[in-house]
Amino acid sequence: MSENHLEHPTPKKYVQIAIVLGILTAIEIALYYTEDIVGVFTDPLLIFLAIGKFIIVVGWFMHLRYENKTVNRFFIGGMILALILFTIVMLERASANYS
Amino acid sequence: MSSSHAYPHEPTGVETRKLGFWVFLSTEILFFGTLITTFMIFKGSDFPGMKLTDVYDIPFTSISSFILLMSSLTMVLAHNALEANDQEKTRVWLLATAMLGAVFLAGQIYEFTEFYHKGFELSTNIFSSSFYVLTGFHGLHVFVGVVLLLALWGIGQRQKGLTLEGGMNLEFVALYWHFVDIVWIVLFTVVYLI
Repeated sequence: MSENHLEHPTPKKYVQIAIVLGILTAIEIALYYTEDIVGVFTDPLLIFLAIGKFIIVVGWFMHLRYENKTVNRFFIGGMILALILFTIVMLERASANYS
Repeated sequence: MSSSHAYPHEPTGVETRKLGFWVFLSTEILFFGTLITTFMIFKGSDFPGMKLTDVYDIPFTSISSFILLMSSLTMVLAHNALEANDQEKTRVWLLATAMLGAVFLAGQIYEFTEFYHKGFELSTNIFSSSFYVLTGFHGLHVFVGVVLLLALWGIGQRQKGLTLEGGMNLEFVALYWHFVDIVWIVLFTVVYLI
């Protein structure tokens, strides 16, 4: 049983979540076309929006927020390992470019 | 997805098959993490006489992204309908999800064809190779997902239909499909927008 005993969303709620996802995607595209105006904030904002969409799909559509802690640990563990890999490779590349 | 049943006989409290599937998804994260890292390393590599922005068709890819995003909605509605034991709706939403996935795939094939015509080929340079490997593997995952969805739809056409017990199968396919969607959420930003 889910450990926090949260009620699963209703179909209406799922549609509302999908609308939010659609709006976030529209904002991403708008940011892409207004890069000259938004400037240096464009990329961080795009990453922030992608993370937001990712969390919404994983949490609500994949129901991870209703799941057992063990399931959460495995999924988050995979994410952390992938981020460690990404960070190490990028740092290595940056140091190689610097030298 | 649903965790409405306790599994006290399992040391983890989660059904073993389900936990195994989440572990599989975790390994898939590492797989795509590696491909994304490789892509990011070579992203700066130019290819002669062309800018990346000349190749990408952002409006087209945006529509494709929206279609895949909405397929996650139809997938979760299929799962919800099965929980309510509504066979008809389950089949309709499954078929809708498969169709949306097929449209996304058709879009990707069209996009790749256009890129080839513009001279952005698999062997153009190391960046183009990393692009095709990354997006191609995602497309392959979508294809597998569409096949699984159609198989489930076919099972649902039988007299017995999809059952709650068999619903575990739908649950795994749904998890897989949503995973394919979250990978694209990352790819759309990393590959196309940034």
